[in-house]
Amino acid sequence: MLVHILAYQSTTAAWANVSEMRDALSSRLSGLRRNDLQGSDVDTWIGRVSDLDTAGLGRWHSRANALARACLEEGNFRKTFDSARREFCNSRIGLILGSSTSSIDRTEEAYQHLEDGKLSENFRQDVIHNPGALSVFVAHYLGIHGPSQLINTACSSSAKVFAAAARWLQADIVDAVLVGGCDALGLSVVHGFDALQLVSPNACKPLDRHRDGINIGEAAGYALLAKYPLTTSTGIVLSGYGESSDAHHMSHPHPEGRGAHQAMELALGRGSVAPDHVGYINLHGTSSRVNDTIEAKVVSSLFPDSTLCSSTKGWTGHTLGAAGITEAIIAMDTLETGRPPVNLNLSELDPDISISVVREDTLIQTRHVMTNSFGFGGNNCALLFSEESTAKSAEALYL
Amino acid sequence: MRLSIESVGAWGDGFSNWAELCALINGEVGAEALEQSTPKPEVIPANERRRAPLSAKLAVEVCSQAMRGSHVGCENMPCVFVSGLGDMDLTDYMCRQLASDNKQLSPTKFHNSVHNAPAGYWTIATGCTEPATALAGLYCSVTEGLLEALVQCRIEGGPVLLAVYDTPSTVALSDLYPCEQTFAVAFVLSNGESETAVATLDMEIESCEGTAWPQLELPDGLQACYDNNIAARSLSLLAPVARGSDASMELPLNNNLNLKLSVCFKGPDN
Repeated sequence: MLVHILAYQSTTAAWANVSEMRDALSSRLSGLRRNDLQGSDVDTWIGRVSDLDTAGLGRWHSRANALARACLEEGNFRKTFDSARREFCNSRIGLILGSSTSSIDRTEEAYQHLEDGKLSENFRQDVIHNPGALSVFVAHYLGIHGPSQLINTACSSSAKVFAAAARWLQADIVDAVLVGGCDALGLSVVHGFDALQLVSPNACKPLDRHRDGINIGEAAGYALLAKYPLTTSTGIVLSGYGESSDAHHMSHPHPEGRGAHQAMELALGRGSVAPDHVGYINLHGTSSRVNDTIEAKVVSSLFPDSTLCSSTKGWTGHTLGAAGITEAIIAMDTLETGRPPVNLNLSELDPDISISVVREDTLIQTRHVMTNSFGFGGNNCALLFSEESTAKSAEALYL
Repeated sequence: MRLSIESVGAWGDGFSNWAELCALINGEVGAEALEQSTPKPEVIPANERRRAPLSAKLAVEVCSQAMRGSHVGCENMPCVFVSGLGDMDLTDYMCRQLASDNKQLSPTKFHNSVHNAPAGYWTIATGCTEPATALAGLYCSVTEGLLEALVQCRIEGGPVLLAVYDTPSTVALSDLYPCEQTFAVAFVLSNGESETAVATLDMEIESCEGTAWPQLELPDGLQACYDNNIAARSLSLLAPVARGSDASMELPLNNNLNLKLSVCFKGPDN
């Protein structure tokens, strides 16, 4: 069975939609800015979405839900979703989203207005102050009647949604699945990563010799997956996925990248794609000292030197639970445009890193791309996307 | 679609394993004043255990029990961890700290606050390199977890470990989520029939209206737990297993779908 990608949409600090994404990536226009979060004194940079419309959400009010809604309303995404709804029975369209914090931005705000230690009236929102809030909102907002799920495995959350959706389609409990993810900026993530001494006082520079930490960003993104293509399909399929656990440490990756290796290998195996056929890898590439070196080591051990790689966190920051979907879309769109994004903010490649990093505008012909996501708890996911025609002709059908 | 329950692990107010929970369900012991206690899962090294939050200790304890009671597989199996409200103590700690003038957070508490921390502690403690999933589905967390475990069993083939847990609510959120109880269970689930099963579950998805959970007749203390602790909604399928009987039920997946479930008792747990 092939998992067809019918449409995708992405909103980050650097772009409101996929059309702007192409412009931002080719013009190297970053969305990062100095930390200007209200009430935060952390010396760092952040990827904040400007002019987010938060009005009219009522009991669903939170920054995260506003961001999730904004992305849904960009471009033709809703139109494609509605045409899929006409094609498939409504209770056979599922929803699987990823988020590491859901609407905790609103819970943080609620705690600034407690009365007698309890929520004050404006903040008594049972659909908000819980870790599954994002899926509850999007199912309500779009009127999705099929099964829904919220995966919350920190920074791999919205990569794993593709694996879960592929299984749902294969198990025949749905005909189509809206997958995606959203995480909004809040004090807890900026101050939490600061406590772990992981944030950089500069704009992040993944893979650079002098990189000194990550920037936290916010984003939302979606992809509509189905058993068969509709007229509006992208011609891209999910050809493989790999999930694994490091079994090593809550917040440090395995020193040899064992789990990352396992995830990438599984994705290649499921897709029956040889490593040298993968033309581009969008790295997790957080710009932390440890992640980038280990990830690059694993990529060098699995792929030929010619495989082009880049991290796009220099545009968006690390969007945590939304990183998986954001970077899956960037990777997929490379199949569409043939232009792998450069690795922004890279002046001097870390001498310990020996992979081919995209540093100039390049036009490539490739039929397979990969993206990596790794999260706290040692939670890893690699995704492989291919041109539909290739997957068919090779009969290397996944699953 | 059929799943076999190979084993059950359990911990909550007034019980520290599946046999004790069965005794409570069956009224063999009093359930009026159920005492709260914190598990000390031996599988987590002592220094790590001191830093582990309650949610992780609960989940790891019930997973260890389920694994010990199971005839299938080993600890290196895919796992699905589900909690309706996550670690409310840590959410409370972070939001309280961030609402104060001193916004400095404890790094350990921050990384423990991720929803998949219990899954992380489990995989680290047992050396499990298989995929770990952590889900949150508010009032329908139990059914969402069951459905995900079912799909993983069917598609990936092997057995799956499912853990469901929720801890008492915090003062700030107690009006919204009035939960005073601790409840955690874990199952080793295998695909289809199994000779070693405690019970089988046949599941179907069907359309419905509304999201009502079935009424259960439980002793008072457990009844309060079922009514208020999201994870304790798994008692709907555990109660017939504890009683050694078969049952059919409809459990809400969302406003429009039910998980239609037939529980067939196979034999006492070991």
